[in-house]
Amino acid sequence: MSEKLDAYYGLPYKVKFCKKCVISNQRPSSTVEFKNEKGEKKKVINFNEDGICSACAYHDEKETGIDWEDRDKKLRDLLAQFRSDDGSYDVIVPGSGGKDSAYTAHVLKYKYGMNPLTVTWAPHLYTDIGWKNMQEWMHTGGLDNILYTPNGVLHKEMTKNAFHNLLHPFQPFIVGQRIIGPAMAKKFGVKLVMYGENQAEYGNSIEENTNPIMNMDFYSSDNALEMKFGGLSMQEYIDSGNYTKDDFAPYIAPEKQELIDAGVEVHYLGYYLKWDPQECYYYAVDNTGFQANPVRTEGTYSKYSSIDDKIDPFHYFTTLIKFGIGRCTYDAAQEVRNDKITRDEAAYLVKKYDTEFPNIYFKEFLEYIDTTEDEFWKTVNKHRSPHIWKELSGEWRLRHTVAKNGCDD
Amino acid sequence: MNKIRVIARIDVKNEFAIKGIHLEGLRKVGNPNSMAIDYYKNGIDEIVFMDAVAAYYDRNSLSNLIQSACKDVFIPITVGGGIRTVDDIRIALKSGADKVAINTAAVQDPDFINKASKIFGSQCIVSSIEAKKVDEDKWEVYTDNGREPTGLDVLEWVKEVEKLGAGEVILTSIDKEGTKKGFDLRLNQAVADSVSIPIISSGGMGNSGDAIHLLKNSNTDAIAIASVLHYGLENIQDIKRALLDNEIRVRL
Amino acid sequence: MKIAIIDYDIGNVQSILNAFENQGVCAFLTREKNEILDADGVILPGVGAFSHGMGCLKKYNLIDTIKEYVKTNKPFMGICLGMQMLFEESEEFGTTLGLGLISGKVIKLPIQRSKFEKLPHVSWNELSNKNIRWDGTILNEIEESSDMYFVHSFVATPKDERNILSTTEYSGYEFCSSVKKDNIYGCQFHPEKSGKIGLKIIDNFVKICKEKNYE
Repeated sequence: MSEKLDAYYGLPYKVKFCKKCVISNQRPSSTVEFKNEKGEKKKVINFNEDGICSACAYHDEKETGIDWEDRDKKLRDLLAQFRSDDGSYDVIVPGSGGKDSAYTAHVLKYKYGMNPLTVTWAPHLYTDIGWKNMQEWMHTGGLDNILYTPNGVLHKEMTKNAFHNLLHPFQPFIVGQRIIGPAMAKKFGVKLVMYGENQAEYGNSIEENTNPIMNMDFYSSDNALEMKFGGLSMQEYIDSGNYTKDDFAPYIAPEKQELIDAGVEVHYLGYYLKWDPQECYYYAVDNTGFQANPVRTEGTYSKYSSIDDKIDPFHYFTTLIKFGIGRCTYDAAQEVRNDKITRDEAAYLVKKYDTEFPNIYFKEFLEYIDTTEDEFWKTVNKHRSPHIWKELSGEWRLRHTVAKNGCDD
Repeated sequence: MNKIRVIARIDVKNEFAIKGIHLEGLRKVGNPNSMAIDYYKNGIDEIVFMDAVAAYYDRNSLSNLIQSACKDVFIPITVGGGIRTVDDIRIALKSGADKVAINTAAVQDPDFINKASKIFGSQCIVSSIEAKKVDEDKWEVYTDNGREPTGLDVLEWVKEVEKLGAGEVILTSIDKEGTKKGFDLRLNQAVADSVSIPIISSGGMGNSGDAIHLLKNSNTDAIAIASVLHYGLENIQDIKRALLDNEIRVRL
Repeated sequence: MKIAIIDYDIGNVQSILNAFENQGVCAFLTREKNEILDADGVILPGVGAFSHGMGCLKKYNLIDTIKEYVKTNKPFMGICLGMQMLFEESEEFGTTLGLGLISGKVIKLPIQRSKFEKLPHVSWNELSNKNIRWDGTILNEIEESSDMYFVHSFVATPKDERNILSTTEYSGYEFCSSVKKDNIYGCQFHPEKSGKIGLKIIDNFVKICKEKNYE
């Protein structure tokens, strides 16, 4: 292949797969979502000179290089600083009642004696199982919760813009999701916010893993009007005449100084406790009434991960389009690292499920973003980077896959 | 009243025994061969080995395990998971299994049960049914280790497999399995009342009380237990004695 | 000590081989006439349909061989279908002739099939001796009421009561669970699948073979 192909989003030109797990070097790292603009260059996961991704490298570190007893002690010391003795909430746990937040909140309350308030940034469209699990989190798990549902009219429009401008329908959701923890902490006068896993586990820079604290940039802003949603700034939405700043109340990131003054700290429990997502599933079933998806989740082989939002499958579908890797790749890579499946098995699963189209909620998704099927595919196809996709007789094929069945493999 | 069989169900992935919840999750719990020997020595009546990932990988790979287990375990062994063709059955039986459990292949081609029972005999062919509750007294058949709904009604399907020649049924409640919160009593009652072939109830046992409750209130013939044994919650002799104390006949 | 297990493409023979090996005896699979006649003891395994079993014996020309072997007075044991085929005929799928080595027929378990009374009979069930002496037989030193593993829908009904070695009850019906006629034994249950007690029965058979051949 001699022609030089375009690589959108500034992605690495040559597609490579980790030698240990199945993730590719196209996987984007976490970003400050409210700065996400159309056409911006993506930072991606790092591969070392042995062809091993930073998530795998971090996992090895987790297994052998970390003194977990010491980390537990650090956790206890940390919690002792914040634990209330007057019945007030002393830690905010953002989450959906899925396996990770179910584990986080429950273990903080019932093992470590904290008084958590869980806060849920509402999914776009609850699945039945997602709603059930959220309720069980309270009714069986014995926890308090605030469910925060933003103005659907605005949210839908932002999601629509995000889909068409960024092919990233979840972008506005993620903005709100990152903010809600610290924002609620400030409102309730609680200083500690505890998330579950550190996204660094999945391939952000390894340095981020040596820090239990989330980078403030993710959830604070000094100029709310410049925050971007679906590629448009808050100011642009207001200028359109359809919205005022009032409508953006849920999305306005607290100012850095306000948070510093309030003493708000955002930590990752994954820094202190050795994280295994599948073990979170078992814990959640045993303790918070969690139930897996009754059927296999589309685009993957599993039933226990990320099952509360009908729009969720389209998040993964768009990562498939933009980066060549879908939901199964993410699930399988995690399970390889945590020694549940072998790399060969993972590659087989990716081949089998990664490109499966999420049909079940497709109609609802189109309705949600007020888009026709034709428009959907037009947008999708615009975002296929030529270095990842090739059109052959009217069909789009991946050039490279981990199972080596891409059309250029 | 017949003696109730207490059967150990060991889900297998590669060389490990695993235990999930709702047929999901691959937590390793031990070496399947040693576990089988251990349970045999402690008085279990039968062993069922299920290949938990056969559906994922379009393979079945328990022959080696069966061959090993047969050398030291002299009670009936059933193998399931990925049994798709007559050849698969032949290989399983040749390796030493006494029975094979068939689910997905039978749903995709019901005649497979008919053919298999004619060739190998009904006593070799166990219909494995994974049931998920969809409404009061209504359950749906699932395949592929609890992943794919089929639209089939469990009560209709079990009558069908009896007609086709299955010798037994192993009935797994997806809702209850791995939870240790007790069997799905209504499911087992309804299925056992629908047919005249033996039913093995699987999914949900956390303690002897669960077994007693099920056996005293249904016409089921055997229980397949997993978590309670694999996590060491109760031992086999204690379970059997508890059953006997409650007037449920078992082999000691 | 040479124990031949008849290989006619039926039955879970691996377990039987393993059971003998467990007792320290090397058993082998064969359908060769001279190997069978030459053995110190012969096992006829079998599961499934009577007519299919007899058909396979015919296919491999084993019927005469078995009859010839039995005449040598060396020990012979049929297991499950193997025991049923010792008899004159079976009513399964119309009448099929058996080996005719023991007088009597094979009939379907005469129970009313329902959700309470299941068929096939799959369970651990007790042996009764009904004042029959078990000393020196395959049930030597086996305790009465021992549980053995059964899986069948048909049973043998020996004409001569003296051929009955043990009985077992299922759903109120008492059937013949093992037989003995001179050097011929039959077990409706599976000794190779009945745990320690089953292995003792295998061991008893081996002892009988030893006595017969090396006295």
